[in-house]
Amino acid sequence: MLPIEYYTGLSVILFTLGALGVLIRRNALIIFMSIELMLNSANLAFVSFARSYEGMSGQIFVFFVIAVAAAEVAVGLALIVAIFHTKRNIDVDQINSMKG
Amino acid sequence: MIGDIMTSLWAILPVIVLALWACVLLLVDLWLPKDQQGSQQGESNSPITPLLAALGMLTSAAIVIARIGQPTMGFGGMMMADGFSHFICLLLLASGLVTIGLSHDYMKRLGIARGEYYVLLMFSLSGMMLMSMSADLIMVFLSLELLSIPLYVMAGIATPRPSSEEAALKYFLLGAFASGFLVYGIGLVFGATGSTSLQQIVAVVQSGNYNLALILGGAALIITGLGFKVAIVPFHMWTPDAYQGAPSAVTAFMSVGAKTAGFAALLRVFVLAFPAFSADITPVLWGLAALTMVLGNFAAIAQRNIKRLLAYSSIAHAGYIMMALVPYGQDGLSADSVASALFYLVAYAFTNFAAWAVVIALEQAGEKGLELQDYAGLGRKHPALAAVMAVAMLSFTGVPPTLGFVGKFYLFRTVLEGGHVGLALIGVLTSLVSAFYYLRVIVVMYMQEGEPEARREPWLQAMAYGSAIGVVALSIFSAPLLFLASQAVLKLF
Amino acid sequence: MITVSLIIFLIVAVITLGSALMVVTARNLVHAALWLVVALFGVAILFGLLQAGFLAVVQVVIYIGAIVILIIFAIMLTQRNALEIGSRFNENWGWALGISALVFAALVWAIVSWPGFHVQAQPLDARFDSVAELGKALVASNGYALPFELASVLLLAALIGAIVIAWERKPEER
Repeated sequence: MLPIEYYTGLSVILFTLGALGVLIRRNALIIFMSIELMLNSANLAFVSFARSYEGMSGQIFVFFVIAVAAAEVAVGLALIVAIFHTKRNIDVDQINSMKG
Repeated sequence: MIGDIMTSLWAILPVIVLALWACVLLLVDLWLPKDQQGSQQGESNSPITPLLAALGMLTSAAIVIARIGQPTMGFGGMMMADGFSHFICLLLLASGLVTIGLSHDYMKRLGIARGEYYVLLMFSLSGMMLMSMSADLIMVFLSLELLSIPLYVMAGIATPRPSSEEAALKYFLLGAFASGFLVYGIGLVFGATGSTSLQQIVAVVQSGNYNLALILGGAALIITGLGFKVAIVPFHMWTPDAYQGAPSAVTAFMSVGAKTAGFAALLRVFVLAFPAFSADITPVLWGLAALTMVLGNFAAIAQRNIKRLLAYSSIAHAGYIMMALVPYGQDGLSADSVASALFYLVAYAFTNFAAWAVVIALEQAGEKGLELQDYAGLGRKHPALAAVMAVAMLSFTGVPPTLGFVGKFYLFRTVLEGGHVGLALIGVLTSLVSAFYYLRVIVVMYMQEGEPEARREPWLQAMAYGSAIGVVALSIFSAPLLFLASQAVLKLF
Repeated sequence: MITVSLIIFLIVAVITLGSALMVVTARNLVHAALWLVVALFGVAILFGLLQAGFLAVVQVVIYIGAIVILIIFAIMLTQRNALEIGSRFNENWGWALGISALVFAALVWAIVSWPGFHVQAQPLDARFDSVAELGKALVASNGYALPFELASVLLLAALIGAIVIAWERKPEER
């Protein structure tokens, strides 16, 4: 077996990559995929912590995070497709009709 | 065993009623007669759906009121129905009722009256109420999602209007980003203590068998995640666009409901679970509160669009409420801190609804009538509406005799008792700055000439006058409200 | 000491991080989605290595089987050509890099001080049936019955919401 540190370390890198993707990209779909990466890194952290405590609650949290991700994807993609129908574009830098 | 389950269900009965009511309403709405004339797809002009939704909220509120004074705990300590949650739940249900009053005619006017709107409103409301009861980080996360996802949709319900879709997309992307932070923060707290239950976290912290760095990292990420929801600087960038683009009635609900629920979760998690770390967390909260008040108020000065102005004003007020959180860990002050935050939330809710009711009354088709200049001459043409707006602006500024003044008074007193003179000073100074743009609205309404057009819709007017009268009356008779707020002490069973 | 599990871990870790990096930087949206599949699959293998077999299966079925498929649908519905026109990155990329570096440093600081950091995980007891435990915990009233129900309400609300948004919208197009 490997030390837990390997997994938590990996999850930190993955989380940072996801956050970077959200902050740096312009396409709404890529931003969304980066958010999925962040949620996955959190899941990995949970499972590895749960492994060291040998309890159930960490794994259960992951189960709920996956359920929430499924709910978010339904609403989010509906929104992205709807905005594409109106604007023919899903570039968040160009979706800025409001200024102030 | 059975008794156990009954107590658990009893603890969250108001939410069960609300969520089930929403499900039934969804079906009932299908059978209600639809308006034949100009029948847009799925459009419903019948007043029955909003009335039924209001009835559901009233039922839920009646259950909450019947249970005041009987704190219950359910689901193995996961949910707490105590004075704190009762107070927040009643405030949220009242906000829901006002939102229905604001929405009914407004949605019809925009041609987006749909039964599902009220169903989503009720789902979002149940998420908010659950959030105020959550004593487990799993429940905090799930109820945050239950309150947010319907709100994303409600912000975009005016689709295909571009601004509404844009508001929904921005709110959604930043909201999902924030959930990522919240989940990771909960993960770190779990890693530090081995549990997500606040009770067990407290037990582990008392036993000293935890890891400080992980818990602080987790707390920071939780502040970030919830900070997005309550719109504190620097997590506020979505707020102006989302508030401006969303239909005004939704914005009114969003700005009150999401903020109330977010602060409820912040208060419960920090006051209950993290008082031992206040030495490290307080400076962060101090900085965030100061930054939010300064940036929110200064950015509001430049705004000419009334919805955007109110958006920045709501950011600034998040800063004021954040101020109450700063002394949360000091001995004997946590009760004051909670009470003044709750009181200010009520003041903010009433004032905000009064202001938004006027905005909705003046909004014209095609997002017209939302510039500050469109309010010129309101004092002469519609004196009652102008008076409501004036009361709201004075209350936002914190001028007596309004609820905003009383709220700020208790807030500053708590902060001063905590010994944060600098923060209180920043609060007072930024309030003076805010007077500049709030009073400008009053000046425009009364001193400039114009021909503003306002809607005369009975429910909308009732809500406007009701909130404004509440703002003034509750400030004069504030003792009972403050008593209720001070009863809402957070403690473990 | 190099063991088999270490080698497996290193390979999976490199693949996961590499494909995550590709998701964040890819110009072609379809490629990004496919790299996302690889990254998610890598995480599923890591779940397996951590003896969370059920979650590994859930990860593959829900994340890859449902969520990424939906994302690919959305890509096909919104992109005439999957390539992004113009710059992939927004102008604030300097800020973004800075903030990410800050987050990374803070998290590393938090994680490194964790006492469990260097502890070698012991293999779980063979009698420890995690799927049965998970199932029981999800329906026990003093366990996680309420979050479970809440998740179902959440999914219902999301379904209604998605339908409301995707409703036939433009009368003139009918």
